[in-house]
Amino acid sequence: MQVAEGTKGRNTGSDIRATEIMVTAGARELHDGEVVVVGLGLPELASVLAKRTHAPSLATLLETGVMNPRPKDPPVGLPDSRVFYRATCLSGFLDVMGMNLHRGVVDVGFLGALELDRYGNINTTLYKDGSGRIRYVNGSAGGNDVASLAKRVVVIMRHEKRKLPLAVTHLTSPGFVGGRSRQELNLRGGGPSRLITDMGVLGFDAKTHSMSLISLHPGVRLEALVENTGFPLHIPNDIPTTPLPNAEELRLLREEIDPKGLHLR
Amino acid sequence: MVDKLKSVPEVVRTIPSGSHIALGGFAIARNVIAVVHEMIRQQKRDLTLSQGVVGLETDLLVGAGLVTHLIMGGGSLDRFGPAHCVNRARETKSLRCDDYTSLSVCFRYLAGALGLSFIPIKSLFASEILERLEAGPAASDVKRSKCPFTGEEYVLMRALTPDVSFVHVQIADRDGNCQIDGARWGNEEQAKAGRRLIVVAEEIVPTEFIQRSPERTIIPGHRVEAVIHQPFGALPTTVYGCYDYDADHLRLYVEHAKQPERFKEYLDKFVFGCRDHWEYLQKLGGLPRIAELRAERILGY
Repeated sequence: MQVAEGTKGRNTGSDIRATEIMVTAGARELHDGEVVVVGLGLPELASVLAKRTHAPSLATLLETGVMNPRPKDPPVGLPDSRVFYRATCLSGFLDVMGMNLHRGVVDVGFLGALELDRYGNINTTLYKDGSGRIRYVNGSAGGNDVASLAKRVVVIMRHEKRKLPLAVTHLTSPGFVGGRSRQELNLRGGGPSRLITDMGVLGFDAKTHSMSLISLHPGVRLEALVENTGFPLHIPNDIPTTPLPNAEELRLLREEIDPKGLHLR
Repeated sequence: MVDKLKSVPEVVRTIPSGSHIALGGFAIARNVIAVVHEMIRQQKRDLTLSQGVVGLETDLLVGAGLVTHLIMGGGSLDRFGPAHCVNRARETKSLRCDDYTSLSVCFRYLAGALGLSFIPIKSLFASEILERLEAGPAASDVKRSKCPFTGEEYVLMRALTPDVSFVHVQIADRDGNCQIDGARWGNEEQAKAGRRLIVVAEEIVPTEFIQRSPERTIIPGHRVEAVIHQPFGALPTTVYGCYDYDADHLRLYVEHAKQPERFKEYLDKFVFGCRDHWEYLQKLGGLPRIAELRAERILGY
């Protein structure tokens, strides 16, 4: 699973950082009593924030077999022992990815991405460098499994034109491929439901399965968001503003969840 | 009774070039570094490697030019950087790489461990991962088919039965009864899919200690061919409850792995330049460094 990139320093017109808005918006996608498989970085922070606020009985699973950990120190990756701290279960792939995800009991897959296209297809395998050469990166790990099998998928990533192309360079993890329904694609999971970026919250049109704008973060102009997106978006007539984190959410994020600002600053 | 306790060189000598090896590490955790270094020293060539999520051990073997076929679900060295040697080998097409996912590799091992010849899965559909597998030499390992009972579409994958599976564990007894602390990713399936199973243990304990908590035994002794006792055998990768990863050395490794010439320098110094793992540990900083990396009892790192 990819570690979501930290998104630093985009100006929101207040002292609240874009990353704080992203994590809060991510947390609000998670409901109490749900089961979520998270990647490290911003997805994990969002799950912690949800658990500490409106979703105390959220079950947080990591692909390596870790459930409901409460890390004290920041991990470098999924197999880092720091992730095991105070977990309620330590098992393996077959348990988390097999008997939970493949079994169909995971409500939300929460991922990062290198590239994501208009149908929510994700690339985490390769990119073309400046000279057009193919460069390989991490690959799927559990990403394809999560995108294929979770009831819904939330992606959190930086909003840049090259990261949001018309079609991904390599289709690692399927969304609504070619605008087709998940059933047509032989996929059990419901597919992408939200993309949370540092500019806004986006969703997928129920009919066309193509990406649509749901809300703009405070201080972000619609033109800027459109310019930074590599494909046409459905834009509603009235565009709501993404709610800012409230005082308690901000306090938790800054004082308890990421006090050193490793992901949020 | 046969003594299963063997040294690293003894075990590695029994592995023919051309073998299919399954490795039990994950990125920067519980890698069988002592074994991999010895495989490089003994120049075991033409290897097929399989692994759920690759890391340092695979990157070393691929970088040393010993791997011709890689079956993997992805991987990196986490925050320390990409698996440069693996990625470079893919870019230059100097090996056959069958790219899967964590779960699909785990399922293929599970099939092997259960004695099944194939296993169905609902991942991989509509992805370029499946398309590429079907378009290349791996086409003989994947097939789309319907469930004979419900008609549901599945991807069927051929079982993986590696010639030799290696797993690094915290404790084992002389018979090979193993207990793994912390998350186990695909270790149980990967270990039990192997035709031969060899464990590297941080500590050899009396069987009586295993008998105190037999429910924690993940791999029973009768499945294990050989037990290698190599304390700190996974360094610079981490072993939960025993020691942390050596971040300085991993950074140094990634710096070298970026370029083939510098990677060769790394091998010359830290692999060919060491008689065994003890000498390697000396080069990492010896006892003072190990003492720093020793896990704290509550945290486990």
